[in-house]
Order: sequence, then C-alpha cells, then structure tokens
Amino acid sequence: MKSSRLHSPWTPWLFLAPFLLSFGAFIAWPAVRSLMLAFEQTYGPKTTAFVGTANLQFLVHDPFLWTAVGNTVVFTLAAVVLQIPVALGLALLLNRSDLRGRRFFRLVFFSPSIVGLAFVAILFSFMLEKRTGLINASLHHLFPAWNPDFPWLDRYVMPSLILAQLWISAGFYMVYFLAALQNVPGELLDAAHIDGAGAWQRFWHVTLPEIRPVLNIILLLVVTGSFQLFDLPYLLYNDTAGSGPDNHALTVVTYLFQTGFRSGDLGYASAIGWMLTLVLVGFALIQRRLARAEES
Amino acid sequence: MRSLLKLFSPGLWIVLLMAVISTVLVALLPVKANRGMQMWVFDANHAKIAGFIAEDWNRAHPATPVQVKLITGAALQTRMLSGFYSDTPVADLIEVERSMIGQVFAGPVADVGFVDLTGRLDRENLRTGINEPSFSPWTTRGHIFGLPHDVHPVMLMYRSDLVEAAGIDMSKIETWDDYFRVLRPLMLDLDGDGRPDRYLLNSSPTSLFYHEVLLLQAGGRLFDNANHPKLNEPLNARILAKMATWYTGPTQVAAEAPIGGPSALQLIREGYVIGLLAPDFIAGQIRMSLPDMAGKFKFMPLPAWEKGGRRTSVLGGTMLGITKAGATTSTAWAFAKQLYLSSDTAHRLYDVARIVTPIKANWNQPFYDEPDPFYSNQRIGRMYIQLAPEVPVRPSSPYYPMTQQLLSSVVIRLCRYADEHRLYDGPSLEPEAQRLLDEAQHKVEAQIHRNAFLRADR
Repeated sequence: MKSSRLHSPWTPWLFLAPFLLSFGAFIAWPAVRSLMLAFEQTYGPKTTAFVGTANLQFLVHDPFLWTAVGNTVVFTLAAVVLQIPVALGLALLLNRSDLRGRRFFRLVFFSPSIVGLAFVAILFSFMLEKRTGLINASLHHLFPAWNPDFPWLDRYVMPSLILAQLWISAGFYMVYFLAALQNVPGELLDAAHIDGAGAWQRFWHVTLPEIRPVLNIILLLVVTGSFQLFDLPYLLYNDTAGSGPDNHALTVVTYLFQTGFRSGDLGYASAIGWMLTLVLVGFALIQRRLARAEES
Repeated sequence: MRSLLKLFSPGLWIVLLMAVISTVLVALLPVKANRGMQMWVFDANHAKIAGFIAEDWNRAHPATPVQVKLITGAALQTRMLSGFYSDTPVADLIEVERSMIGQVFAGPVADVGFVDLTGRLDRENLRTGINEPSFSPWTTRGHIFGLPHDVHPVMLMYRSDLVEAAGIDMSKIETWDDYFRVLRPLMLDLDGDGRPDRYLLNSSPTSLFYHEVLLLQAGGRLFDNANHPKLNEPLNARILAKMATWYTGPTQVAAEAPIGGPSALQLIREGYVIGLLAPDFIAGQIRMSLPDMAGKFKFMPLPAWEKGGRRTSVLGGTMLGITKAGATTSTAWAFAKQLYLSSDTAHRLYDVARIVTPIKANWNQPFYDEPDPFYSNQRIGRMYIQLAPEVPVRPSSPYYPMTQQLLSSVVIRLCRYADEHRLYDGPSLEPEAQRLLDEAQHKVEAQIHRNAFLRADR
C-alpha cells in the first residue's frame, strides 16, 4: 500500500510542487507581468496607461540610456581586462609553494570581498577626497608638485569605480583560480619542464588549458556582474542617486532603478530591464557557443 | 501514523515542526495598533520641535494623540512613495524635503497621495499670511499640497577673522565682481607649492545645488511658473558662462568644501573657503558643528550680479503634507496648523536650527533681533527675515532633479571646454553655454513629453 502510494502519478508533481510554486510566483509571473508593463506607463502599480510601443521607441532615442549603456560597457571591458588578469596573477603568485606567508597573503587579498560594499564605498569616498583624502594627501606629501585638489571622484569617475571594484573583486576571483590551479596535474608541468618548456610556455600550453573551464565561468560572472553594476556607483555618488558628475557613473541598472523606483515609471523601467536581459542572454549564448567550439 | 512518521527523516520532521511553531508564534505576536495620528519627519531637529508641540497637543487631545517618528530621508522617501503607489501603510502627516516632492507629482494630479490644501488655505485666509514664494515647490498644476516649513533665504557667510585681519571692508561690496576683486589677495599659497590653498567661494562645477542658487539669484530659472522647462534662456547661458570662469583656469576663485561631506568641516576650519552660500539652516549647522569657531564668521546679503540686483536666493526646503490615506484629515489639519503656524514653533525653530519661519505674523518676534554671539553678535535672524520676501519662486516639476543634474552637467562640460580652448571670460564662453543648455533643454522636453499623465492633465 505504502509503495503504491509513493509511486502514484501525482508523486513527482508533489515533490516538484514547492519549486514550481515558488518559480511561478517569484520568477515566471513577475517576468510575464514585467513584459506587459513594458507596454504601459505607470505612476506606481496602481495608475497605469497603455502606451503601446512608445517605451520601446523612446528607449532607442533616450540619451540617458545610451550614456548608461556606454558607461556600463566601458566598466565591463575594464573589469574583464583588469579583474581577470589581476586575479589570475595573484592566484599564480599565491599558488607557489616556495612563497612564505602565502596563507596570510591569501587572507589579505580575499578580505576586501568579505567587507560590505557600503563600507567599501565609504572607504573609497574618503580615500579619493580632494585635499584631505589619503591618496591626494599622500601623493602631495611625497611629490609636492602633485595637485592636492586632484578631482578623482569628480573628473575620473569611471577609473574610481573600476579601482574600487578591482579592490573588492580581485581577491574573490583569485580564490576560484587558486582552486583551479591546485587541480592542474603536477606531472604535466614537470613533463613540460623536462621537455625544456620555459615558465611562460608552461603557463600558456599547460596551465591555461587546464583552468579554462574556470576561466569561462569567471568571465561569465564578471560580465554579467559588471552589466548589473548598481550598488557601488549608487553609494559612491549618493547625492546624484548614482548618476555621478555629468552622468559619468550612470549605469543601465542605476537608470532602471531611478526610472522605476524614483520616478515610479515601472513601465519604462521594465522596458530597460528587458533590454538588459536580452543583452545578457545574448552574451551567455555566445560565450557558451565559443566554449563548446573550443572544447570540440 | 507510524508509516506517516517514516515517510520523512527525523531531521525533516524537526525542521517542519520548527517552521510550524515559529509561524504560530509570529502569528500570535500582539500587533501594536497605532492610536491617533502618526507623523514622519526626516530631520532630528524637526523631530525635536514637533515632539514638543505634539506633547501639548496630546494633553489637549487625548483621543487623537500624535506620535512623531524620525525616519532617515531615503527610508522616508521609499516608504512614502510605496504608500502612495501601492497603498502600503503611511503616516497621517509627512514632512517632505524638496528633493523628494517631484516624484509625488509625477502622476495625475488626482492621484497625488497628499490632500489638496488649496481650498482650506483659501477658506481660512491663510495664504496671505505665509511667505508667498515659499508655496511654490509644493504647488503643482495650481494645487497646493503642503504647508511650507521654512523660507531658507541665502546669505553669504564669510570668515570675518581672515577678512578683517587683511583690513578688507566688506560693507563696500555690492556685486560678485566687487567681491572677487576685493578679496582676491586672500587667495594664498600657504604651503609654497605654487597653488592656492584658499578660495573665495564654496562652490565647484559638481555642486548640484549652488548653480541653481546663483542662477535664481540672477533672475534665471529652470522652469516657468507652469513647470515648463526654461533651461536654455539666454540669461541662464550668460550666468553659467560667468560662473564657469570662477571654477577653472587662471580666473578660478571658487572651490568646494562639500557641506555634509567627510572633510567639509576640517576644510572650513582651515579657511580653505572664505565665503559660503549659506541658507539659514547652514547657519544653524555650522554653529552646532564648529563651536570652537565662534566669532570667526559673519554674514552679509549675497553680492548682487549687477548693481541694484537681488541680494538673496533660496536653497532647500520642507513641507508638511496630510496623506489621503490618513483617516482623520480635519484633525491632522488642526495639528498641522498648531505645529507650523504657532509662534512657539517659530521660536524653537530659530533657537534650535536658526531657521526662520514663513509665517509673516511671527516675523516681528523679538528673538529674531537678539545678537548671536557665535556670529560676532550679528542679528542674523532679522537679516534673514529682511531677505525672506525676496526669495525667488521655484518649480515643483517631477523633472526638477533631472534638470538640476543637467545644469551641473552643463557647467562641468563648459569648464572642460574653457580649459580645452583656454577661454576664461564670460562672453567668449556664452555661445558654448547656450549650445549646451539647448541640448539639455531638448533632453528634458523629451522626457516630459513622454509623460502621458502630465499630458492628460494639461
């Protein structure tokens, strides 16, 4: 009796029900609703007006959105070009068995990623201040010709964001690379060494192919994470709701937040959200196809 | 029963049991019902003053007591908008800062979450008794949605110790040109690195608020009285071109110690800036934050842009609104009047924060004439009140924060243009200022045009 009850046709659905319910309530229905919203203008969820494709048409010509897209793309490229090599470099360095205190340094480089982002934003806003900030004050002390009023946060918005993000993330991705490096078979490296391969050749022809699956995952994480950049500029440039001077810190998600949750226009925010989703899905598909092509 | 127990592992049963027990416990927690009315405020000083008045009110009205709740600005804004957008619980009365109100006015006027006070103000003949320009930020499409808390006229606060030590007579200064010419010798290189360590005005291209303060003082504007954008008016271009010369190149005279920023107080103490654009609340903040600087600051009306021009401007502001969701509009209105119109509040407001009231009947109170020892015994209350009727009218457009940021972008780009072309005089920069303002105007117009609700109301 017990056995037949467990094997009834409804049993699998019973087990799937919690997932299906939560997926339907928190993923599927909001996605459908947000797609519908993309064709409406709203003042909060209560007051709506159907506007057809007006939101999508405006999206194409919206100068703020394209500024945000430009900033996001620059940030993403910088993140890929800087975060991955720095994280890999740190991992290679701290994977050396002859390095003294490597456990300590691993902790040091990883620690920024366990501090809260709000703390990081405050820290960088202090450090990059004109005149009294640690960086300007130190540089002016060391090199008197350095302008103590150097406007890091005002004129060098994107470099400031990239620097802060690098500080937070490099140690985090370093841990992924460390784990991958520790799985590179030692005998392969030894064989290459005996065959006369130099350090660069060993890295390029042995280590890199072995850690490529992890590299692909990190690339995906860095790109999707960078495209969703919001909290750092929002906290660092709070007085402009994350836009920064001359909108230089405005990212796609910040613009989405400002539109949806500050102006109450959930319709236009949904249109922006769907655009971002399509970009990210497109990137993930391309990346997956490239990874598969490489594997085959 | 035994077979049921064996269906899952003991661990899973414990987790389920804990979930059920905690759910029951949470469900049984007593719900603290709000008695009377709630009022949300975002500023500690405002909360203190409202608290005093609420105590009196609660003694006289035990059936409808008022509970004042201090909530940080960002949280208050989110909770208020959530309430208006989605009917989540909101207070009966909310104090709203100027930068928050635009979003409340973004939808149809009928859907604004605050009660329209226009009729009440007219019926009770209160409008004429309140400083007229102070209503403007809280008025949309001809409807007033809040009682103004303040006027916030702006004066120039300057380091009198440094100025007087240099033998400079500030009473002869009438215009900004006079100000910068006379005080120029104070822009000193104190550490010998070839760069000034002291500037004459606390402002920079990235200052979000000061550009508008100076623009309004000169007679410029961001919107007209019907909230149509007027960013690209020629006067705005002329003023911004002139301001850009203050911020960059060999003509630079201004730099910013950002008020509220981590280093502002230290920079002000060190004399990094000689003059500050100071609305009345800044007078209160500096007095509280830098008590060791007593006797080192003085006030004067803003230097005018042209001889005989306006000597003040306006910055910031707060209103008190009654929410539609509140059950007791008439009682809330009675409390709002007691709180904002009374001479007791005016006195406390000035005493605690140096803020002058917009209620004209209170302007002749003697406490405004008392010398302030912190400010070298100047009667700053009276000075601010004399300027109050002259404060410029301001917009309430939902697109105001965007326009304010665009204005800052124009100044930033204009300064970059000045540096690239080595142009450091106003008239040479004016055409570029006009071009940038035209571009900004186009952006705002496009956003406003997209708003179906504002279009329908028009």
